[in-house]
Amino acid sequence: MNYDMEDTQNSAPGILPSNQAVKLGAPRKGNDAQSTTKRLQTELMQLMTSPAPGVSAFPNSDGGLLSWTATIEGPEDTPYSGLTFKLSFAFPPNYPYAAPTVLFKTPIYHPNVDFSGRICLDILKDKWTAAYNIQTILLSLQSLLGEPNNASPLNGEAAELWDKSPEEFKKKVLGRHRVIDDE
Amino acid sequence: MAGHDLEAQEALARDFQPALEGPLVGEKKTSRAITEEYAKADPVYVAKTAALPQKFSHYRPILGDGNCGWRAAGFSYFETLLRLQNRTQLEEELARMTSLNNLLTTVGGFEEWLFEDMVTETTDLLRDLADLIPSSPQAAEDLLRQRFNNRATSDSIVYHLRLLASSWLKGNRTSYQDFIPDGLGVEGYTKDWIEPVNQEIDHLGMTLLIDILLKPIGFSVEIVYLDRSEGSQANSHIFRQEDSNGAPVNPGGPMIHLLYRPSHYDILYKEQPPMQIVDEVTRNPQVNRAFTRQISVHETPAMMGGFPQLDMETLLCIPGFGLSSPPQHHGFHTPQYSQRPMEQTFNSSPISASISPISPGASSTASSVAVPASFPAQPASQPSLTSPTLASPHSSFPAPTTQIPIHTNFPPQTRPSLSSNPSIASHLSHTSELSSPSSATSSFRPSKYEWEAAADWQEPVIFQTSTFKNSHYNTAHYNNPNFQPEEWTPESEEPPAPRKRSS
Repeated sequence: MNYDMEDTQNSAPGILPSNQAVKLGAPRKGNDAQSTTKRLQTELMQLMTSPAPGVSAFPNSDGGLLSWTATIEGPEDTPYSGLTFKLSFAFPPNYPYAAPTVLFKTPIYHPNVDFSGRICLDILKDKWTAAYNIQTILLSLQSLLGEPNNASPLNGEAAELWDKSPEEFKKKVLGRHRVIDDE
Repeated sequence: MAGHDLEAQEALARDFQPALEGPLVGEKKTSRAITEEYAKADPVYVAKTAALPQKFSHYRPILGDGNCGWRAAGFSYFETLLRLQNRTQLEEELARMTSLNNLLTTVGGFEEWLFEDMVTETTDLLRDLADLIPSSPQAAEDLLRQRFNNRATSDSIVYHLRLLASSWLKGNRTSYQDFIPDGLGVEGYTKDWIEPVNQEIDHLGMTLLIDILLKPIGFSVEIVYLDRSEGSQANSHIFRQEDSNGAPVNPGGPMIHLLYRPSHYDILYKEQPPMQIVDEVTRNPQVNRAFTRQISVHETPAMMGGFPQLDMETLLCIPGFGLSSPPQHHGFHTPQYSQRPMEQTFNSSPISASISPISPGASSTASSVAVPASFPAQPASQPSLTSPTLASPHSSFPAPTTQIPIHTNFPPQTRPSLSSNPSIASHLSHTSELSSPSSATSSFRPSKYEWEAAADWQEPVIFQTSTFKNSHYNTAHYNNPNFQPEEWTPESEEPPAPRKRSS
């Protein structure tokens, strides 16, 4: 009995700070989300008022602004010419002070994209800057299609074929590509 | 495989997270904590950290999240503006920061919609601080810490600083391009080192930030490098606006002190010296300076010659009014200020200053624009930078506790480093007499300057208070890492021994 009393008494001071920590943490997170939301709204506006050729993006219909779907048209004079690729964007709560997670949803055969659609691009990792935005990411990815970085491939075979046999490469690209449903 | 490496790296990054816990900008602590932290480290660190509290009483830890250098400098910028307790200057900074948007768009090449939210955090903070400072400096300080510990706000301000540094580099390529590492070029460097969100600030980045943010308003920065290089004290370097002869343009300006440890920055402070010499005066340093300056005019009319130069310093405190300050074309012009500080410096009556030395409201613009700047930074910077030239006069200085009469008897001209600034020289030579009104009991009250000068000596100073003598900070105490038994040298009895100098 006595011990029980003591236990609750002892635990009380420990609980209080953690409660406070949560309280202190909550508005911070709210703030993050708020400024992130504002930034993403601005980006949406920018994408609609001054669209770049060959790329587009729009928030998913699930309500939150933190997940988007984008499309890239394969650039002319590349193996991807005439193809359209869908990508998913997941924004962290502290965007733009952290990079979004970008994945190819459309299967793509490319030296810097693996079979799960993960992309190896420095600006989406350690070279991410808060001055980049959805449109600059899409334009960078579009140019990555025509100029892969074969020095650090995620798909070694593709990197090899790119140099050795453009015809074979193109065949693989077309073989892997398929149109996925809109969601 | 590459994918594997990535996962391994991400796992590593996750594992590092706990080390990054804590506030972005910590509470001010006594710098002895650093000494204790290194007590078991390499002897070089032990020696250097043992010497640190002699010179810097406090430090403020900054979270090591890759933005520490930016955040430390940014926080210090606001904090120093607060220390000056000058609403007008905060408002001028608000205007300057807003006008620098032009630099970001035209030179930096950044789109306004991308950075406007970031700049807004900076300008909002300046505005809120300006509103708070006249009524409640404490609330202003609290607000500053709160904003800098709010991740979203703090990161926005830090990123604004990155954009400023990047734009400043792009606009001044010729000045900096030789310092860009690895042949990256200006664009490559800004993309690799300045703009990535969690990229630690490097030396060039810090230089750029100081050049765009702090130098134009007459703030200087001392960086203390705590590394394993030889020496019993950490090396330091002072960044400040200098004229073509290498003389400081604004020698009386406020100074920010940063502690650099390999890939990390914290903030250092000199206030609240271990010897409580200037207790109540530190609370409101600018008044003290205003006060002494008034008197020096009063007592030594010959020193009037120093005033034109003083007023130049004053003007340099005003954004956009730099004499040769590079950023002036980006600043805004405030011609009306060119007259005001000067008049007020002369007009504000010595009587009012001496009657209410503590009331910030009553102190004239002269005390809040021109003067504040000067404390506590300036006296430290002077001797430390010019210590070689100071060597001879200094070496004949006795220990601080007994030095006052000799010190004040030195004519300013005999101190070469100070003669470039008559106001400081006269100031120095008068302070020990002048500080007496605030301590009615003692007519031999050592001034803060003497303490600071003492702190710049190579050897840790031996303070002759019994508390200090018995503490392990005394090198004569067996617990001191630099333990050095006291030796009796008959020839040093009269006068007191010249201090040993290693350089």
